[in-house]
Order: sequence, then structure tokens, then C-alpha cells
Amino acid sequence: MRSEILITFRSITYAQRAEQLLNRGNISCVLQRTPKLLAQRGCGYCLRLNARFLERAVELLRRGDVPYQRIYPVDERSAPEGAAR
Amino acid sequence: MIYLDNGATSLRKPRCVLEAVQRAMQTCANPGRGGYGASMEASRTVYAAREAAAQLFGCRSEQVVFTPGCTQGLNIAIRSLVPPGGSAVISGFEHNAVVRPLHLLGARVTVAGRRLFDWADTLESFEKALKKHPDAAIFTHVSNVFGYIEPVDALAELCTAYGVPFIVDAAQSAGTLPVRPESWGAAFVAMPGHKGLLGPQGTGLLICRAEPKVLIAGGTGSESENPDMPAYLPDRLEAGTLNVPGIAGLGAGMRFLAQRGEELSMRESQSARYCAELLKKLDVTVYSGEHQASTVSFVPKSDCEELAQRLAGSGICVRAGLHCAPLAHQSAGTLQTGTVRVSFGADASPRQAEALLQCLKRAR
Repeated sequence: MRSEILITFRSITYAQRAEQLLNRGNISCVLQRTPKLLAQRGCGYCLRLNARFLERAVELLRRGDVPYQRIYPVDERSAPEGAAR
Repeated sequence: MIYLDNGATSLRKPRCVLEAVQRAMQTCANPGRGGYGASMEASRTVYAAREAAAQLFGCRSEQVVFTPGCTQGLNIAIRSLVPPGGSAVISGFEHNAVVRPLHLLGARVTVAGRRLFDWADTLESFEKALKKHPDAAIFTHVSNVFGYIEPVDALAELCTAYGVPFIVDAAQSAGTLPVRPESWGAAFVAMPGHKGLLGPQGTGLLICRAEPKVLIAGGTGSESENPDMPAYLPDRLEAGTLNVPGIAGLGAGMRFLAQRGEELSMRESQSARYCAELLKKLDVTVYSGEHQASTVSFVPKSDCEELAQRLAGSGICVRAGLHCAPLAHQSAGTLQTGTVRVSFGADASPRQAEALLQCLKRAR
């Protein structure tokens, strides 16, 4: 089983900037809608990526000054679990 | 046809702009509203344009807000800084897109710098007005009537020194002169997408470096349970479905300019200078000076609108009248006559100026 994480963002623009930063840092990720249960105050977008990139991804976002909301663990067989940040 | 009304809108768009508009119309659904391919493609298209603007104007992508034009951007910016009944200092060459929103707010307006092409007068008058600490200063980068390039760098320094937030109207400069919101320290810089940036009509940009007030509220595809508009940019100012085909074209225009902007800009200003020299050989009053962009105005002996109509009959497109800027005409003393305005664009050439001169000789 491959373990993945979701990083949620309040705005698609931030999610897109984050996607660009991670891709430039050679971290593969997928931009998608945030699952309804995780979206704070309604709709949003998130990045889905391999959990082994978590620390590097957070560091890249911090250095790039891209605010994110929360990070959730997720695996291919189940819905996202609780908050991990 | 010789098109010399680029101050109103650029007509000759690069092929890449037309292709981008068409591609967006064929492939893009509503951006930021879904996770399926056509919505994500729209989001990518919009973000690519935001990035192009951020690179061109040296700001962060989320500071770039898409508007339907410069006018809406100026309305947002002015309402964000000037409260009802507040105060503002503006240059003597402002467009009605600045004058009317201030009038609507019942603002006390001080007009500073009314002498054409005179930087010393502009700066001295602004400094005097800034000492009274108005709520905001608002100035155009380039006069849409006379092509006068205002001393924006120095005005920005003055405003900063007096602690007065300021707005730059880059309607006539974006795409042809350096526009630097960050180094100026401007609160807001507003610009159209369809003039020097070579995008389609119905597009514009507002670069936000200060807290903006919401002008239009509605859906943003984010924080849907929140009855207030999101607090963050660009969502705060982008309610409703964006003009994705327009933004796609604008993005292509800005990427085109990133490659060729400098060359085009030089050709435009050279053509305008040459045109001014040619016009001076005729029996007309030409307004030209040292700090002039790619626009030249003149007052003929005959009615300016009738002359423009005769030129149109010869396939030459110029604009006559007050150009939505009566204040600029008051400053220059041309309110009664109006002017004929010749504004060069991306296809500028000396031959256009020569053709205009020939037609004017025939039209006399």
C-alpha cells in the first residue's frame, strides 16, 4: 500500500502556486478538489502526494511563503483520516 | 486601413492571442469550480495568465486580480483608500475613470500639476498637496490625451515620504513602459488588458499591495459557507465566473510582450516623435514634449471631430474630442476645441505617420 497525504489550501491560486513549487522541487503531486468533509467553510482545492515527501513539501511551502490549511494522511483504500498538522 | 487609436484599444493582436482565446473557448469550463478536466484546464489557463502578469510586473501571483477593465480596478482601488467625503490629490491629466468615482464618493479633490510635459511643476504641486495629508494620491502614468509621461518614480517617492497611499493608473503605460508596483510602493496599480497588453476587450488587471474593499460580492468557488467574501486575494475581488477566454488571450499577450515588448515600445515612441515632427509642418497646434509616450494630440483649424471623420473616410483611424478626460483638456486649455489624438501601437511605423500627414494635407 502506498501512503499518501492531502495538503489543503483555502484558495485554488495558493494550491496552484504550491503545485508549481513542489513540481520545481521534483515532488510529484496532483491538484484536486478537497473532499467535502475536509473543506473548511465549504469548497477548496488540495494537493495529493506521496507521504514520504511530507517534510520536504512543507519546507518548500514555508520557504515559498505559500499558506496551506491542513495536512491529512490518506491511503488508497480509505477516505482521508483526521488532521495531522 | 491605418489604425492609430491604440490609446482606446489595440486592434492588431498577435496571432498567439487569437489562438489562446479560441483554445480557451473550446477547452475551458469554469475555473476553480470543479475537479474534472475542462474546469482544471480553465484553472491552469487563468493561473498561467496570473503568473505572466506577476512576472511582468514583479509581484506575487495572488496580488494579481483580474477585472473587466481598468475602470473597475480603479473603482475598487479608490473605494479602498478614499472614504465617502474623504480627500484625494490627483494629477491634472486624469481620466474620468478616476474623476467620476471620486465625485461619486463626494471626495474633496485637489488637482496638482497642470502643466504639460513639466515634471518640475508636477512634483512641486504634488508636494504642496501631499503636505495636507489627503486620504490618497492618484495619478496616471501616461496621459491618455497627450501622452505625457508623469514622473511616477518621483511621485511615488514623494507619496511614501509623506505617508500618503497612492494609486497608479497604468492604462496607457502597461505593456509599453516599465510598471513597478513593488519598487514604487503603490497601494494599487490598475490597468486594462486590451490596450498595450494586447489582450481582448473586457479584460484588466488590478495589482493589489494594500487591503482592498469588495466592490462586487458573489461566488468564488472557495469558502462557500462563508457569507462574507474571502479575506484573501485574489478570491476577495474575483466574484462570479471569470472571463476565461479573455484572460487566456491576455496571458498570451503578456507572454508575447515578455519576449518582444521592449522592441515594440521603442518603435511606438519613435513613431510618435516622428509623427509630432511631421504634424508641426502643418498649420495645426501640436502638443509634444520631452516626456512623451506613443500618443500625440493636435488641434486643427477645423472641427476636430469633422477632421477625424474625413480621415476615417481615407482609412485612417484616430480619435477626436475629449477622450473621456475633460480634466486633461482643462489643464492644457483644449476643453473648447478637443483634440485629434494619434496613438501608435504594436504595428507602429514611420510610414503610418507619413500616410497620416498626406491625408491631412489633402483634408485641409
